[in-house]
Parts: sequence; structure tokens; C-alpha cells
Amino acid sequence: MSEEVRRPWWRAAVDLPETIGWRDHVIGALIGCAYVAWLLSTARSLGFARDEGFYFHAATTYARWFELLASSPHDALKRASVDAIWSENHEHPALMKSLFALSWMFLHQKAHVFADASTAFRFPGMVMMGLAQWVTYLFGARAYSRRAGAMAAVLLGLMPRVFYNAHLACFDVPIMAMWTWCMYLYWRSQTQGGIWWAILAGIAYGLTLETKEAAWYLLVPIVPHALFVQFRAVVGKRGAARFALPGALLGMVTLGPLVWYALWPWMWNDTLPRLQEWFAFHLNHVYYNMEFLHETYFSAPSPRGYMPVMILATVPTVTLVLFAVGLVGRGKVHYGRLRAWSRDAAEGAEASVVSLDRGEVDLLSLLVFGAALGPWLLPRTPIFGGTKHWFTAYPFLCLFAGYAFDRVATALRGALRDARGWAEGSHNTILAQGALVACVVAAPLAETAHSHPFGLSSYVALVGGTAGGADLGLNRQFWGFTTQSLEPYFEAKAPRGASVYYQDTASSSWQQMIEEKRIRPDLRGAGSPDADIAIVHLERHMLEVEYNEWSVFGTDIPDYVLTHDGVPIIDVFRRKR
Amino acid sequence: MRAILAEGAEPESTPPTPRGFALARTYAFALVPLIGVLELGAHEVQIHSVVPDADWDAARVAVEAEWKPGDLVVFEPFWADSIGRLHFGAKLAGIPDEARPDDTRFPRAFEVSIRGAHDPELADWTKTATRKVGAITMTTLANPMPVHVIDDLVDHASPSGMAVTRADNGGESDCRWTHGATTAGGLGAGPATPGDRFVCAGGAFVGVSLIHDLTDRPRRCYFAPTVGRGGVVRVRFTDVAFGSALHGHVGLANFNERDRTGPNVTLTWRANDRILGKITHVDGDGWKGYELSTSDLTGQRGDLVAEIASPGGGLQFCFEADTR
Repeated sequence: MSEEVRRPWWRAAVDLPETIGWRDHVIGALIGCAYVAWLLSTARSLGFARDEGFYFHAATTYARWFELLASSPHDALKRASVDAIWSENHEHPALMKSLFALSWMFLHQKAHVFADASTAFRFPGMVMMGLAQWVTYLFGARAYSRRAGAMAAVLLGLMPRVFYNAHLACFDVPIMAMWTWCMYLYWRSQTQGGIWWAILAGIAYGLTLETKEAAWYLLVPIVPHALFVQFRAVVGKRGAARFALPGALLGMVTLGPLVWYALWPWMWNDTLPRLQEWFAFHLNHVYYNMEFLHETYFSAPSPRGYMPVMILATVPTVTLVLFAVGLVGRGKVHYGRLRAWSRDAAEGAEASVVSLDRGEVDLLSLLVFGAALGPWLLPRTPIFGGTKHWFTAYPFLCLFAGYAFDRVATALRGALRDARGWAEGSHNTILAQGALVACVVAAPLAETAHSHPFGLSSYVALVGGTAGGADLGLNRQFWGFTTQSLEPYFEAKAPRGASVYYQDTASSSWQQMIEEKRIRPDLRGAGSPDADIAIVHLERHMLEVEYNEWSVFGTDIPDYVLTHDGVPIIDVFRRKR
Repeated sequence: MRAILAEGAEPESTPPTPRGFALARTYAFALVPLIGVLELGAHEVQIHSVVPDADWDAARVAVEAEWKPGDLVVFEPFWADSIGRLHFGAKLAGIPDEARPDDTRFPRAFEVSIRGAHDPELADWTKTATRKVGAITMTTLANPMPVHVIDDLVDHASPSGMAVTRADNGGESDCRWTHGATTAGGLGAGPATPGDRFVCAGGAFVGVSLIHDLTDRPRRCYFAPTVGRGGVVRVRFTDVAFGSALHGHVGLANFNERDRTGPNVTLTWRANDRILGKITHVDGDGWKGYELSTSDLTGQRGDLVAEIASPGGGLQFCFEADTR
């Protein structure tokens, strides 16, 4: 039964030192780059969400300022120039839109790396997704193991909703990436100490603030975590240590706002009133609709079940099972620590367990869950935008899942050794480990790949897929991004020069699709159903438009129904000539 | 899962336990890949279980063979409605049936269903036949209490069938019949403005349109935006054939009603200069049914007057009625 241990010839080339180092950055970057390549390969088949149209326009406006800055810095910094340019879309910070602009200027207009302007706009967001995976890998590798980190990074990318949003020139995936990076730097500062980590954390927090408003919440998990780590250090040394201000936190509250201010030209003038306006806008944000369990919510109170049900319905089940196993596993570890600590304390011995994890990564993850998910359990929190608003929790969810995968792989190795005598590193063991990876990754990969380009219509197998989501009365799409999927219909059926009512698609998004020939350039966009062709994006509250189209076209029989897995996504009505 | 969960634990490090239990602990990790494989299998089954167009077309042929005018065809679940309409066409699934006020007038219904869904409004009907065409289940249902509609007032929408006036403090003026193209705006613009309608001075009008009701269903009815400020829109239906009851519904467009903050709207029915009844629609009532007795008018013909009044102007009010 036993197998002679023969190290494959290639193992020496890929064996990594125990210490996490530059090679791990390479691994993390490779995972991220592979994912960005996947995103680029699928970008052209994904239509534009409503928000993207606004950000495309804002980016081209900001690009004018960057050109002015390059040609005439003095003029660019004049108040008139700054206010004229940066007033556009000033409800959101400038970092991502500036990156969209720079990418468009250099990678589309100048270098022609991307033929589509939209791909250039979207590229920084895609890179942010790669960054999120890179950092998640590093986080997992340092906190648990390389295997845990790698699986965490992969599972993060294999979520249909994350995959959809990672394509977009929007802020939800970037804030997930920046939030995770910021947390990682903070955690490294806690574990390593030293001023450079604190400075890096401060700069990262400024960039995170400059990415999206959700960065406000970032201090919610960090402050209690920092206090706990300091408290534990003092208790562990029985008063021998003095309470010290955590450097990273200090860096974040001092450098963070400076970086934020420096990178957002709109705030350079009339700072206080504009700051007040910005806060007021987000504190009184308009409610968006969201369908949940056959009811459309237009305002608070939102149902408390929304967030947990949507996580169950949109995150691959095997990932959630791994998360649960990992959570319980880490809980057991900390229970053991607590028991050992109380035993040591009772015996008067120096508490030995406190040094096991100076950074308290599990506590940090739990606090992140609280900050990222907690608000969605409050009845006054409205639903606007759905799952993307708690993406910041997903890298940490995947860290627990990665940890659990590591334990499963270890258990498999042990079982194979005991039952079959297969040694670690043998071909059979490697094959078995490969099969385990395939079993864990296959379903998330299949669900994610199949969801494209209907990422917001798709639901995981646990709830019955797309049709199961429709049965449950869950939202089918948002912001009219599915219009581009009608191109084969337009090609076949639309009369030359026909006017098309594009319904929930933003006019700027429609225009971009025309410019990039994603849909036939002779088609004319129309702002009302009184057109040659009228579409309706099938969200429940949009049925108002559907019935109006029945009235205008004099029939309820659509000319075409765009479906995903048999579920209607868009109804199309065509005027018979 | 203890073997998986214990930090650094290998199976051999666990204390001795009964053999079966030890085996279960040793191989508990296999649950994770098993769940992964099950999820993949379920996903593959789901994406390959889409009802093919051929099944929908075969279902249409089967229903059409038995269908008679007056029969109702419904598609379940509701989200599959547009696919059903696409395949069944206007004869079997046209606007009057799709935007019906309720099911009471239909003696028979064909429920065309996928995924085991059923129309709850037909739950009390008698099932007379069930057959399957591919992935589609067709159920024939008989109405246990069918009614005979004598006169559907929605069919009166022409100058020969009705007249409209607007009464304000300044007096009562006729509303002119106009013929034109139906127009509609986008989301939130309200129901389509019918091309054929009675247009009153000051902006009011009355014409048949479709509203999106609070349950997201379409309803075909007289769209009569309220004039407010004590004004009344008066609709006189002429030469109505009376039965024992006047049966109908009132409602507001979903967008107009869903916040439940608007004022009431009152619909008063009169015949022979007496009030048959007043129906008050309170915001949030949704598509609200009513039935008024007209037993003393049974078998007669005459005028029937509807008066719409509300303290609020511009409410997207809609009503319908029939005699039975």
C-alpha cells in the first residue's frame, strides 16, 4: 500500500520558503492578472449600467483638466478651472473617475491599447479587482497559509455578483479592494510595528476615502480592534507594558484626510460648505427600488432578511460552507486560547497564548463583518443597489473559507496517508489535492462563467438558479445594463434608422454602445415608448412601462423576449409597418 | 467536522473513539468537496432545464384546439407571462384578458404552467383536466360560479356610448371626444394617455387605458385623472343594459398609490337620478372591487352616471364596471 516518496522534478522549482516574501507577491499578482485578463476578455459582451454612463462622461470631463494641468499647470489650478471641471459628479470622490480618465487618455486615445473607450474606462476598476485578490492572497497567506490565501483569492473572484461588478467603471469593487488593502496594511502595522507601516496605512486610508464614501465605516472595525490589541498587550504583560497609541490608526486619522483632500480638487475651494453638501447628499441619499421576495421596496424600513438571504442566493454555496467551517474552526482555536489564557492567569503564569496572533486577524475579520454587514440589519437602512454594498465583507468571508479549505486539504492528506499509505508530495496525493481543488472551485467557476452577461439576474444553484430567483421574487436586474444583449435582435429585426426606446438604460450609456458599435449605429435612441421599438427591463416596478407599451403599440404580444435560463429579462415591442 | 476544524490536527492525533465514529471524523472533510460537486450538478441540471420554445408552441396548439371565445388563458408563474404571450398570441392572450378586472366573468380557464406554479386566484375553481406538453402543465379549470356579463362599460368608450362633463365651481362643461395616437412617458410618468378620449377644459380627460396596479397586474379601465378642488368629472354611459348588479373596480396607478399618502377618491354611481352607491378609494386599497345592487333595474335600459371626485387633483384614478 505504501508508496515511495519521490519528489517530482519540478517541485524544487516551485517550493517556496516558509517566510512569506516577494514570491508571494508574484503569486498574488498572478492570480489578480489572470482574473483581469478574464474580465478584459468578457468586457465587450457586457452592456453599460446606468451609472457607468455618468462616470464615462465625468471621466472625459476630468481628462480635460488633466490635459490642462499638463499643458498649463497655472491655469489648471485656478479656481475657475477647478470648479468648472470638478463640479461634475461631485457627489462622489475623484480617485476612480480620475483613473478612468487617465486610462482613457493614455490607453485608448494615445496608446490605443484598448480599441473601446469603455474598456479603457473600465480597466482601472478591473485592476482594482486584481488588487483585491492580490491582497486577499497575501492576507490569507500571512494569517493562515499560502493554500488558504490562494483559495481565498480565487473564491473571491468566483462570485457571480463580484464578477459582474468587477467589469464596471464604478466604485463598488474598487472600494472592496481599497478597504481590504487598507485593512491589510493596518494589520501589518499591528503585527510588524514601525512608522513605515503606519504611514502606508495612512496613505492607503486616504486613497480609500477618495474611492467611495463607504470608507467612512472603515474606522468602525479598526478602532475597537486597535483598542483590543493594545488592551491585550497590556494585560498579557500584566501591566508591564504601557498603553501605546497604535501607529496605523494615528496614520489613518492624520494622513488619510490629507491625502483625500489633496486628491479631490472639488474640495479645494469652499471646502466646508462642499463638505457639508457631500455629507448631506449621502446622509439623505435618495432611495432606490429593490424587489425582495415578491415585494418591491422603495424606502426604509428594509426587511432584515434581505442581506442574509441575498448572500445565500448569490454567493456559491460551497464557498459559504467553507466560510462556516472556517468560522467555527477559528472559533475553536480562540476558545482554546481563551481556556489556556484563563488557566495561565489562574496559575499566575505569564499568559503564553497572547503572542499567537499579535494582529488578531480573526477579530479584525469579525469586526469587518459587523461594519460591512451590520447596517443592512438595521430597519432604517434602505436598500439601494443590493449586494454590491456589502462587497467589503467578501474578502474576509473568503479568508475564513480559505482557512477551512486548508484544513480540509490537510485532513485529506492525513486520510490518504492513513488509508492508502500515500506520502505527502507523492503523485497520488498531489492528484487527490488537485481533485479537491476542482471539486471546490468547479461550481463557483461554472456559476460565475454562466452568469455572464446577466450577473444581476443570476442566482446560485441553492435557490434554483436564475429561475429559482425569479420564483422567489428576487430582483432580476438593475440600471438597464442588459440592453446590449438585444443586439442580435436589433440586427435581425430593427428597420434601418429605427427609433428605439431604451427605457432604463442611461442615454449616455446608449450613446456609448452606439459609438462602439455594440449595437447598430443607425438606431436612434428615444426617450419615450412612442418609438419604432420599445423595450422594458423586467423589474417588477417597471411593469408600469410594459403596460404603457401595450397601450402605445396596441398589443400585449412582444416581438421578442430576451431571456436568461428561460427567465424573461427584456420584453421588446415593435411597431408593425 | 471536528477533524477538519481542529487547528493543526491530523487524524492520528485524535483520542481513541468507536471505529464508526472515528471513520466519520476522519472522512468528514469529504462533505466539503461533496457539496461542491452537488452544487455543480444542480447548476448543470438547472441551466439545462429551460422550457424549450417547442413546448410553448405545442402547448398553444393544444389550448387552441379547445379554446372558445370567453375562455381565459393564464400563464404561471407570473414571471413567465411574457413568454406565454409571445407564443400564444393576441387571440388567446390579448389585452382584454391579460388586463382583466377579475376572473369572475370567465366560465373556463386554461392554466399554462411551468415549475409547478399555480394561479392563486383560480384556487377555488374546479379542475376538469390536466395534461402535460413537455415541461408545461396545462390545467383546465371551471368557474364554480360563472356570471354572465350583460354590458361591459369599458366597451362604451365612444361618443355614441357615453358623454363626459367636468363640473367645477364655475359650472359644468362638456368634454370633447378626440381621436389620436396613444402616448406614454417613461417610468413614473403615469398610465398611457389614450388617443381616443374625452378631453375637458382645464386638463381633465377620460379614456380607456391600462394601469399598473398595486399588485403589479395590468388593469384595463377608464383612466380619469382627478380634477381636485371640489371639481367633479361626470361620465354618463348611455343605453346601458341593466342586470341585477353593477360590478366593478376602482384603483390608482401603482406609482401614484404605493406611498399611501394621497387623498381619497370617491366614485358615485347614479341611475334614474338616485344614487346606487358610493365607492371610496383610500390610498393603499389597490385595485378595489365593489358590487352594487340594481335588481330594480333588471332588464331595463337607461343611462348610468359615474361621478369622480377627490380633494386632490391629478390622481391617476381608474375605474371599470359591468352589469350582470
